Amino acid sequence: MDQAEIILMIVRIWGVIGAVVALGFLTFGIDQVDEDAQDAYVFRPLIVPGILLIWPIVIWRWFVLATGRDHWPNRYHTRRRNHHWVGMLMPIAIIVILATGWSVRQTWPAHIAPVQLSAPQEPTQ
Amino acid sequence: MSVKYIPVQWNQNKWIYDAVMLIGVVAFLYIFLFVTPDILSHDYRINPQVHNARAFGACAFLMLTVILCIGPLARIDKRFLPLLYNRRHFGVMTTFVALSHASYIINWYFAFARSDKYEALLFANTSYTQIAGFPFEVFGVFALTTLLILAATSHDFWLKFLTPPVWKRLHSLIYVAYVAIVAHVSLGILQDQQNHVFSFIFMAGALLVAGLHAYAAWWQWRGGDSRGTVRDGWLTVGNIGEIEDGLAKIKVLPNGDRVAVFNQAGKLSAISNACAHQNGPLGEGRILDCLVTCPWHGFQYNVTDGRSPAPFTEMVPTFNLRLRGADIEVHTDPNPPGTYVEPVPLPQLQPVETLA
Repeated sequence: MDQAEIILMIVRIWGVIGAVVALGFLTFGIDQVDEDAQDAYVFRPLIVPGILLIWPIVIWRWFVLATGRDHWPNRYHTRRRNHHWVGMLMPIAIIVILATGWSVRQTWPAHIAPVQLSAPQEPTQ
Repeated sequence: MSVKYIPVQWNQNKWIYDAVMLIGVVAFLYIFLFVTPDILSHDYRINPQVHNARAFGACAFLMLTVILCIGPLARIDKRFLPLLYNRRHFGVMTTFVALSHASYIINWYFAFARSDKYEALLFANTSYTQIAGFPFEVFGVFALTTLLILAATSHDFWLKFLTPPVWKRLHSLIYVAYVAIVAHVSLGILQDQQNHVFSFIFMAGALLVAGLHAYAAWWQWRGGDSRGTVRDGWLTVGNIGEIEDGLAKIKVLPNGDRVAVFNQAGKLSAISNACAHQNGPLGEGRILDCLVTCPWHGFQYNVTDGRSPAPFTEMVPTFNLRLRGADIEVHTDPNPPGTYVEPVPLPQLQPVETLA
Protein backbone atom coordinates (compact mmCIF):
# COMPACT_ATOMS: atom_id res chain seq x y z
CA MET A 1 0.00 0.00 0.00
CA ASP A 2 1.54 3.32 -1.06
CA GLN A 3 1.25 6.65 0.76
CA ALA A 4 -1.56 7.93 -1.47
CA GLU A 5 -3.63 4.81 -0.72
CA ILE A 6 -2.99 5.22 3.03
CA ILE A 7 -4.13 8.87 2.90
CA LEU A 8 -7.31 7.95 1.06
CA MET A 9 -8.01 5.09 3.46
CA ILE A 10 -7.66 7.47 6.42
CA VAL A 11 -10.13 9.82 4.69
CA ARG A 12 -12.61 6.97 4.21
CA ILE A 13 -12.28 5.80 7.84
CA TRP A 14 -12.73 9.42 8.98
CA GLY A 15 -15.93 9.62 6.95
CA VAL A 16 -17.32 6.32 8.26
CA ILE A 17 -16.75 7.36 11.88
CA GLY A 18 -18.33 10.73 11.05
CA ALA A 19 -21.39 8.97 9.63
CA VAL A 20 -21.81 6.93 12.84
CA VAL A 21 -21.45 10.10 14.97
CA ALA A 22 -23.95 11.91 12.70
CA LEU A 23 -26.48 9.11 13.10
CA GLY A 24 -26.23 9.15 16.89
CA PHE A 25 -26.10 12.90 17.26
CA LEU A 26 -28.95 13.73 14.92
CA THR A 27 -31.29 11.03 16.25
CA PHE A 28 -31.03 11.77 19.97
CA GLY A 29 -27.99 13.92 20.88
CA ILE A 30 -29.10 17.14 19.25
CA ASP A 31 -32.42 17.23 21.16
CA GLN A 32 -30.46 16.75 24.36
CA VAL A 33 -28.12 19.71 23.88
CA ASP A 34 -30.14 22.30 21.90
CA GLU A 35 -33.72 23.17 22.76
CA ASP A 36 -34.14 25.08 19.50
CA ALA A 37 -33.56 21.82 17.60
CA GLN A 38 -36.42 20.01 19.33
CA ASP A 39 -39.25 19.29 16.86
CA ALA A 40 -37.15 20.84 14.06
CA TYR A 41 -36.18 18.11 11.61
CA VAL A 42 -35.96 19.62 8.14
CA PHE A 43 -32.65 21.40 8.82
CA ARG A 44 -30.92 18.27 10.16
CA PRO A 45 -29.69 16.88 6.79
CA LEU A 46 -27.82 20.17 6.33
CA ILE A 47 -25.83 19.41 9.48
CA VAL A 48 -24.59 16.01 8.23
CA PRO A 49 -21.66 17.23 6.05
CA GLY A 50 -20.36 19.30 8.95
CA ILE A 51 -20.44 16.32 11.31
CA LEU A 52 -18.65 14.13 8.75
CA LEU A 53 -15.86 16.69 8.53
CA ILE A 54 -15.40 17.80 12.16
CA TRP A 55 -16.81 14.89 14.17
CA PRO A 56 -14.12 15.05 16.92
CA ILE A 57 -15.20 18.63 17.72
CA VAL A 58 -18.85 17.52 17.64
CA ILE A 59 -18.15 14.77 20.18
CA TRP A 60 -16.27 17.24 22.40
CA ARG A 61 -19.09 19.84 22.33
CA TRP A 62 -21.76 17.15 22.76
CA PHE A 63 -19.95 15.91 25.87
CA VAL A 64 -19.47 19.45 27.28
CA LEU A 65 -23.12 20.41 26.77
CA ALA A 66 -24.63 17.09 27.85
CA THR A 67 -22.64 17.01 31.09
CA GLY A 68 -23.37 20.64 32.00
CA ARG A 69 -19.73 21.71 31.70
CA ASP A 70 -20.48 24.61 29.35
CA HIS A 71 -19.35 27.86 30.95
CA TRP A 72 -21.69 30.59 29.64
CA PRO A 73 -19.22 33.56 29.84
CA ASN A 74 -17.04 31.75 27.26
CA ARG A 75 -19.70 32.46 24.64
CA TYR A 76 -18.98 36.19 24.93
CA HIS A 77 -15.16 36.09 24.87
CA THR A 78 -14.56 37.84 21.57
CA ARG A 79 -11.36 37.19 19.66
CA ARG A 80 -11.10 40.53 17.87
CA ARG A 81 -7.47 40.91 18.90
CA ASN A 82 -6.61 37.83 16.79
CA HIS A 83 -7.06 39.96 13.70
CA HIS A 84 -3.84 41.79 14.57
CA TRP A 85 -1.98 38.57 13.82
CA VAL A 86 -3.91 38.06 10.60
CA GLY A 87 -3.20 41.68 9.63
CA MET A 88 0.52 41.14 10.15
CA LEU A 89 1.17 37.57 9.02
CA MET A 90 -1.15 37.20 6.04
CA PRO A 91 0.30 40.15 4.04
CA ILE A 92 3.85 38.92 4.71
CA ALA A 93 2.95 35.39 3.58
CA ILE A 94 1.21 36.65 0.43
CA ILE A 95 4.11 38.89 -0.58
CA VAL A 96 6.70 36.15 0.06
CA ILE A 97 4.71 33.62 -1.97
CA LEU A 98 4.12 36.01 -4.87
CA ALA A 99 7.81 36.95 -4.97
CA THR A 100 8.87 33.29 -4.78
CA GLY A 101 6.45 32.24 -7.50
CA TRP A 102 7.58 35.06 -9.74
CA SER A 103 11.30 34.42 -9.17
CA VAL A 104 11.20 30.72 -10.14
CA ARG A 105 9.32 31.32 -13.40
CA GLN A 106 11.18 29.96 -16.39
CA THR A 107 10.93 32.00 -19.55
CA TRP A 108 12.32 30.94 -22.87
CA PRO A 109 14.10 33.41 -25.14
CA ALA A 110 11.80 34.16 -28.05
CA HIS A 111 14.51 34.47 -30.71
CA ILE A 112 15.84 30.89 -30.61
CA ALA A 113 14.79 28.83 -33.60
CA PRO A 114 13.24 25.42 -32.90
CA VAL A 115 15.60 22.44 -33.05
CA GLN A 116 14.41 18.99 -33.95
CA LEU A 117 15.96 16.61 -31.44
CA SER A 118 14.95 13.33 -33.05
CA ALA A 119 13.80 12.04 -36.38
CA PRO A 120 10.06 12.05 -37.10
CA GLN A 121 8.29 8.90 -35.90
CA GLU A 122 5.63 9.04 -38.61
CA PRO A 123 5.72 10.37 -42.16
CA THR A 124 3.13 13.03 -41.27
CA GLN A 125 5.29 14.59 -38.55
CA MET B 1 -32.72 35.73 14.27
CA SER B 2 -34.08 32.30 15.02
CA VAL B 3 -36.75 30.69 17.16
CA LYS B 4 -36.59 27.21 15.64
CA TYR B 5 -34.05 26.19 13.05
CA ILE B 6 -35.17 26.17 9.45
CA PRO B 7 -32.98 24.96 6.54
CA VAL B 8 -32.05 28.38 5.18
CA GLN B 9 -33.23 31.75 6.44
CA TRP B 10 -34.17 34.16 3.69
CA ASN B 11 -35.66 37.61 3.77
CA GLN B 12 -35.98 40.21 1.05
CA ASN B 13 -32.49 41.62 1.64
CA LYS B 14 -30.92 38.17 1.48
CA TRP B 15 -32.80 37.35 -1.74
CA ILE B 16 -31.43 40.55 -3.30
CA TYR B 17 -27.91 39.86 -1.98
CA ASP B 18 -27.95 36.29 -3.31
CA ALA B 19 -29.44 37.35 -6.64
CA VAL B 20 -26.74 39.98 -7.20
CA MET B 21 -24.08 37.43 -6.24
CA LEU B 22 -25.48 34.78 -8.61
CA ILE B 23 -25.74 37.26 -11.49
CA GLY B 24 -22.12 38.28 -10.81
CA VAL B 25 -20.91 34.66 -10.95
CA VAL B 26 -22.82 33.90 -14.16
CA ALA B 27 -21.59 37.15 -15.75
CA PHE B 28 -17.97 36.39 -14.82
CA LEU B 29 -18.11 32.86 -16.20
CA TYR B 30 -19.83 34.04 -19.39
CA ILE B 31 -17.23 36.76 -19.97
CA PHE B 32 -14.34 34.41 -19.20
CA LEU B 33 -15.63 31.64 -21.42
CA PHE B 34 -17.20 33.42 -24.36
CA VAL B 35 -16.38 37.11 -24.53
CA THR B 36 -12.71 37.57 -23.80
CA PRO B 37 -10.86 34.32 -24.43
CA ASP B 38 -8.30 36.29 -26.46
CA ILE B 39 -7.74 38.99 -23.84
CA LEU B 40 -7.24 36.49 -21.04
CA SER B 41 -5.47 34.47 -23.66
CA HIS B 42 -4.22 31.02 -23.10
CA ASP B 43 -0.74 30.69 -24.49
CA TYR B 44 -1.38 27.30 -25.96
CA ARG B 45 -4.55 26.02 -27.53
CA ILE B 46 -6.67 24.48 -24.78
CA ASN B 47 -9.76 22.33 -24.90
CA PRO B 48 -13.17 23.32 -23.44
CA GLN B 49 -12.70 21.24 -20.27
CA VAL B 50 -9.49 23.02 -19.31
CA HIS B 51 -11.06 26.33 -20.30
CA ASN B 52 -13.98 25.58 -17.95
CA ALA B 53 -11.60 24.59 -15.17
CA ARG B 54 -9.72 27.87 -15.50
CA ALA B 55 -12.94 29.88 -15.61
CA PHE B 56 -14.27 28.33 -12.39
CA GLY B 57 -10.86 28.54 -10.71
CA ALA B 58 -10.49 32.23 -11.56
CA CYS B 59 -14.07 32.87 -10.43
CA ALA B 60 -13.47 31.15 -7.07
CA PHE B 61 -10.31 33.19 -6.53
CA LEU B 62 -12.10 36.44 -7.34
CA MET B 63 -15.05 35.56 -5.06
CA LEU B 64 -12.75 34.73 -2.18
CA THR B 65 -10.82 37.95 -2.76
CA VAL B 66 -14.07 39.95 -2.54
CA ILE B 67 -15.16 38.04 0.58
CA LEU B 68 -11.86 38.77 2.32
CA CYS B 69 -12.05 42.45 1.39
CA ILE B 70 -15.50 42.87 2.99
CA GLY B 71 -14.31 42.33 6.58
CA PRO B 72 -11.56 44.99 6.71
CA LEU B 73 -13.63 47.43 4.64
CA ALA B 74 -16.52 47.11 7.11
CA ARG B 75 -14.12 47.77 9.99
CA ILE B 76 -12.74 50.88 8.34
CA ASP B 77 -15.98 52.31 6.89
CA LYS B 78 -19.49 51.45 8.16
CA ARG B 79 -20.97 51.97 4.69
CA PHE B 80 -19.61 48.53 3.78
CA LEU B 81 -21.51 46.79 6.63
CA PRO B 82 -24.43 45.72 4.38
CA LEU B 83 -21.97 43.55 2.43
CA LEU B 84 -21.15 41.71 5.65
CA TYR B 85 -24.81 40.86 6.19
CA ASN B 86 -25.02 37.72 4.07
CA ARG B 87 -21.37 36.84 3.61
CA ARG B 88 -21.95 33.22 4.59
CA HIS B 89 -24.10 32.57 1.50
CA PHE B 90 -21.28 34.14 -0.52
CA GLY B 91 -18.84 31.69 1.04
CA VAL B 92 -21.05 28.66 0.37
CA MET B 93 -21.42 29.66 -3.28
CA THR B 94 -17.64 30.11 -3.55
CA THR B 95 -17.21 26.54 -2.28
CA PHE B 96 -19.48 25.20 -5.05
CA VAL B 97 -17.56 27.19 -7.68
CA ALA B 98 -14.23 25.86 -6.31
CA LEU B 99 -15.63 22.31 -6.31
CA SER B 100 -16.56 22.71 -9.98
CA HIS B 101 -12.98 23.80 -10.71
CA ALA B 102 -11.57 20.74 -8.91
CA SER B 103 -14.04 18.45 -10.61
CA TYR B 104 -13.09 19.66 -14.12
CA ILE B 105 -9.40 19.25 -13.31
CA ILE B 106 -9.65 15.76 -11.83
CA ASN B 107 -12.03 14.43 -14.45
CA TRP B 108 -9.82 15.68 -17.28
CA TYR B 109 -6.21 15.25 -16.21
CA PHE B 110 -6.73 12.01 -14.28
CA ALA B 111 -9.49 10.47 -16.40
CA PHE B 112 -7.26 7.67 -17.69
CA ALA B 113 -5.10 7.17 -14.60
CA ARG B 114 -4.31 3.50 -14.00
CA SER B 115 -5.10 3.85 -10.31
CA ASP B 116 -7.92 5.65 -8.55
CA LYS B 117 -7.95 9.25 -9.85
CA TYR B 118 -7.75 10.74 -6.36
CA GLU B 119 -4.69 8.58 -5.65
CA ALA B 120 -3.22 9.74 -8.95
CA LEU B 121 -3.77 13.35 -7.89
CA LEU B 122 -1.77 12.72 -4.71
CA PHE B 123 1.19 10.94 -6.31
CA ALA B 124 1.30 12.59 -9.76
CA ASN B 125 3.91 15.06 -8.54
CA THR B 126 5.91 14.46 -5.38
CA SER B 127 8.72 17.01 -5.87
CA TYR B 128 8.26 18.49 -2.42
CA THR B 129 11.95 19.36 -2.08
CA GLN B 130 12.07 21.99 -4.84
CA ILE B 131 10.26 25.27 -5.37
CA ALA B 132 10.16 25.25 -9.17
CA GLY B 133 7.81 22.41 -10.01
CA PHE B 134 6.53 22.12 -6.44
CA PRO B 135 3.30 20.10 -6.29
CA PHE B 136 0.98 23.11 -6.21
CA GLU B 137 -2.01 20.76 -6.23
CA VAL B 138 -1.54 20.16 -2.49
CA PHE B 139 -2.32 23.83 -1.78
CA GLY B 140 -5.51 23.51 -3.79
CA VAL B 141 -6.53 20.35 -1.94
CA PHE B 142 -5.94 22.08 1.41
CA ALA B 143 -7.89 25.20 0.40
CA LEU B 144 -10.80 23.18 -0.97
CA THR B 145 -10.97 21.04 2.17
CA THR B 146 -11.03 24.20 4.29
CA LEU B 147 -13.76 25.75 2.16
CA LEU B 148 -15.80 22.55 2.52
CA ILE B 149 -15.45 22.64 6.33
CA LEU B 150 -16.46 26.30 6.48
CA ALA B 151 -19.42 25.84 4.13
CA ALA B 152 -20.57 22.72 5.98
CA THR B 153 -20.49 24.54 9.33
CA SER B 154 -22.09 27.78 8.14
CA HIS B 155 -25.60 27.06 9.44
CA ASP B 156 -26.70 29.02 12.54
CA PHE B 157 -26.95 25.72 14.44
CA TRP B 158 -23.14 25.49 14.41
CA LEU B 159 -22.75 28.97 15.89
CA LYS B 160 -24.89 28.08 18.86
CA PHE B 161 -23.51 24.54 19.23
CA LEU B 162 -19.80 25.40 18.97
CA THR B 163 -20.19 28.88 20.61
CA PRO B 164 -19.31 32.02 18.60
CA PRO B 165 -15.64 32.17 19.74
CA VAL B 166 -14.94 28.53 18.70
CA TRP B 167 -16.88 29.01 15.45
CA LYS B 168 -14.91 32.17 14.71
CA ARG B 169 -11.60 30.40 15.33
CA LEU B 170 -12.62 27.58 13.02
CA HIS B 171 -13.68 30.04 10.34
CA SER B 172 -10.43 31.99 10.71
CA LEU B 173 -8.99 29.12 8.66
CA ILE B 174 -10.22 31.09 5.66
CA TYR B 175 -7.11 33.29 5.92
CA VAL B 176 -4.82 30.24 5.75
CA ALA B 177 -6.89 28.89 2.87
CA TYR B 178 -6.50 32.16 0.97
CA VAL B 179 -2.73 32.11 1.41
CA ALA B 180 -2.79 28.48 0.16
CA ILE B 181 -4.77 29.55 -2.90
CA VAL B 182 -2.22 32.30 -3.62
CA ALA B 183 0.49 29.60 -3.45
CA HIS B 184 -1.63 27.25 -5.60
CA VAL B 185 -1.85 29.87 -8.36
CA SER B 186 1.68 31.30 -7.97
CA LEU B 187 3.37 27.91 -8.23
CA GLY B 188 0.79 26.58 -10.68
CA ILE B 189 -0.75 28.43 -13.60
CA LEU B 190 1.34 31.57 -13.04
CA GLN B 191 4.50 29.62 -13.89
CA ASP B 192 3.22 29.07 -17.40
CA GLN B 193 1.45 32.37 -18.02
CA GLN B 194 2.96 34.45 -20.80
CA ASN B 195 0.06 36.88 -21.18
CA HIS B 196 0.29 39.12 -18.14
CA VAL B 197 -3.32 40.36 -18.00
CA PHE B 198 -4.26 37.39 -15.87
CA SER B 199 -1.04 37.62 -13.81
CA PHE B 200 -1.69 41.30 -13.11
CA ILE B 201 -5.33 40.74 -12.05
CA PHE B 202 -4.29 37.89 -9.78
CA MET B 203 -1.44 39.76 -8.10
CA ALA B 204 -3.50 42.94 -7.71
CA GLY B 205 -6.28 40.94 -6.01
CA ALA B 206 -3.92 39.18 -3.61
CA LEU B 207 -2.08 42.41 -2.74
CA LEU B 208 -5.40 44.22 -2.21
CA VAL B 209 -6.45 41.62 0.37
CA ALA B 210 -3.02 41.80 2.04
CA GLY B 211 -3.03 45.62 2.12
CA LEU B 212 -6.59 45.97 3.40
CA HIS B 213 -6.04 43.52 6.25
CA ALA B 214 -2.77 45.18 7.24
CA TYR B 215 -4.41 48.61 7.17
CA ALA B 216 -7.50 47.43 9.10
CA ALA B 217 -5.30 45.86 11.80
CA TRP B 218 -3.29 49.06 12.13
CA TRP B 219 -6.47 51.19 12.10
CA GLN B 220 -8.03 49.04 14.84
CA TRP B 221 -4.82 49.11 16.91
CA ARG B 222 -4.57 52.90 16.64
CA GLY B 223 -8.22 53.68 17.45
CA GLY B 224 -9.23 50.58 19.40
CA ASP B 225 -11.46 50.51 22.47
CA SER B 226 -9.69 51.70 25.60
CA ARG B 227 -9.31 50.06 28.98
CA GLY B 228 -10.70 51.85 32.02
CA THR B 229 -9.30 52.07 35.52
CA VAL B 230 -10.66 49.53 37.99
CA ARG B 231 -11.28 50.22 41.69
CA ASP B 232 -12.88 47.64 44.00
CA GLY B 233 -14.39 45.74 41.07
CA TRP B 234 -15.84 48.86 39.42
CA LEU B 235 -14.48 50.16 36.12
CA THR B 236 -14.63 53.83 35.15
CA VAL B 237 -16.41 54.21 31.81
CA GLY B 238 -16.28 57.99 31.43
CA ASN B 239 -18.07 61.20 32.21
CA ILE B 240 -21.86 61.53 32.43
CA GLY B 241 -22.01 63.86 29.44
CA GLU B 242 -19.97 61.65 27.13
CA ILE B 243 -22.56 59.20 25.80
CA GLU B 244 -25.00 60.52 23.21
CA ASP B 245 -28.66 59.52 23.39
CA GLY B 246 -29.26 56.19 21.60
CA LEU B 247 -25.56 55.35 21.42
CA ALA B 248 -23.01 53.55 23.59
CA LYS B 249 -19.47 53.81 24.87
CA ILE B 250 -17.40 50.63 24.75
CA LYS B 251 -14.80 49.77 27.39
CA VAL B 252 -12.42 46.84 27.70
CA LEU B 253 -12.75 44.89 30.95
CA PRO B 254 -9.69 43.54 32.80
CA ASN B 255 -10.30 40.04 31.34
CA GLY B 256 -10.24 41.43 27.79
CA ASP B 257 -14.02 41.26 27.20
CA ARG B 258 -15.91 44.42 26.23
CA VAL B 259 -18.86 46.11 27.83
CA ALA B 260 -21.18 48.56 26.02
CA VAL B 261 -22.79 51.28 28.16
CA PHE B 262 -25.87 52.76 26.46
CA ASN B 263 -27.72 56.02 26.99
CA GLN B 264 -31.39 55.36 26.33
CA ALA B 265 -33.41 58.56 26.74
CA GLY B 266 -31.33 59.80 29.67
CA LYS B 267 -31.01 56.40 31.37
CA LEU B 268 -27.89 54.24 31.34
CA SER B 269 -27.80 50.48 30.77
CA ALA B 270 -24.84 48.16 30.20
CA ILE B 271 -24.70 44.90 28.26
CA SER B 272 -21.93 42.74 26.82
CA ASN B 273 -20.53 44.21 23.63
CA ALA B 274 -20.53 40.72 22.08
CA CYS B 275 -23.70 39.73 20.21
CA ALA B 276 -24.92 36.20 21.04
CA HIS B 277 -25.01 35.37 17.33
CA GLN B 278 -21.47 35.99 15.99
CA ASN B 279 -20.06 38.22 18.76
CA GLY B 280 -20.65 41.31 16.62
CA PRO B 281 -19.99 44.71 18.31
CA LEU B 282 -23.34 45.68 19.86
CA GLY B 283 -21.88 48.93 21.19
CA GLU B 284 -21.46 50.14 17.62
CA GLY B 285 -25.21 49.77 17.06
CA ARG B 286 -27.91 52.35 17.69
CA ILE B 287 -30.98 52.04 19.92
CA LEU B 288 -34.26 52.12 17.98
CA ASP B 289 -37.60 51.45 19.70
CA CYS B 290 -35.82 50.50 22.96
CA LEU B 291 -33.76 47.85 21.16
CA VAL B 292 -30.14 47.96 20.08
CA THR B 293 -29.47 46.41 16.67
CA CYS B 294 -26.21 44.55 16.00
CA PRO B 295 -24.48 46.23 13.05
CA TRP B 296 -23.30 42.90 11.63
CA HIS B 297 -26.47 40.85 11.12
CA GLY B 298 -29.33 42.84 12.64
CA PHE B 299 -29.91 40.83 15.84
CA GLN B 300 -31.73 42.98 18.42
CA TYR B 301 -31.59 43.20 22.22
CA ASN B 302 -33.34 45.14 24.97
CA VAL B 303 -30.48 46.93 26.72
CA THR B 304 -32.08 46.68 30.17
CA ASP B 305 -32.23 42.87 30.27
CA GLY B 306 -30.07 41.77 27.31
CA ARG B 307 -32.92 39.77 25.79
CA SER B 308 -34.08 39.63 22.19
CA PRO B 309 -37.75 40.53 21.74
CA ALA B 310 -40.19 37.58 21.84
CA PRO B 311 -40.47 35.11 20.20
CA PHE B 312 -36.67 35.21 19.72
CA THR B 313 -34.53 33.62 22.42
CA GLU B 314 -31.04 35.14 22.10
CA MET B 315 -29.61 36.72 25.28
CA VAL B 316 -26.46 38.58 26.31
CA PRO B 317 -25.05 39.29 29.80
CA THR B 318 -25.91 42.57 31.51
CA PHE B 319 -23.78 44.64 33.90
CA ASN B 320 -24.53 46.68 37.00
CA LEU B 321 -23.90 50.43 36.76
CA ARG B 322 -23.53 53.29 39.20
CA LEU B 323 -22.62 56.96 39.19
CA ARG B 324 -19.73 58.19 41.29
CA GLY B 325 -19.77 61.96 41.14
CA ALA B 326 -19.63 62.79 37.44
CA ASP B 327 -18.15 59.39 36.56
CA ILE B 328 -20.04 56.41 35.18
CA GLU B 329 -18.83 53.12 36.63
CA VAL B 330 -19.64 49.56 35.57
CA HIS B 331 -19.12 46.43 37.66
CA THR B 332 -16.56 44.14 36.04
CA ASP B 333 -18.51 40.93 36.77
CA PRO B 334 -21.29 40.26 34.25
CA ASN B 335 -24.77 39.16 35.28
CA PRO B 336 -26.02 35.93 33.67
CA PRO B 337 -27.48 36.54 30.19
CA GLY B 338 -31.01 37.95 30.30
CA THR B 339 -30.79 39.43 33.83
CA TYR B 340 -32.80 42.64 34.20
CA VAL B 341 -30.88 45.60 35.64
CA GLU B 342 -32.68 48.80 36.59
CA PRO B 343 -31.41 51.61 34.31
CA VAL B 344 -29.47 54.39 36.04
CA PRO B 345 -30.96 57.84 35.34
CA LEU B 346 -28.48 60.53 34.33
CA PRO B 347 -28.64 63.76 36.32
CA GLN B 348 -29.97 66.74 34.34
CA LEU B 349 -26.95 68.57 32.99
CA GLN B 350 -26.88 72.31 33.40
CA PRO B 351 -26.55 74.32 30.18
CA VAL B 352 -23.00 75.58 29.68
CA GLU B 353 -23.97 79.30 30.00
CA THR B 354 -25.47 78.74 33.46
CA LEU B 355 -22.39 76.90 34.65
CA ALA B 356 -20.25 79.76 33.54
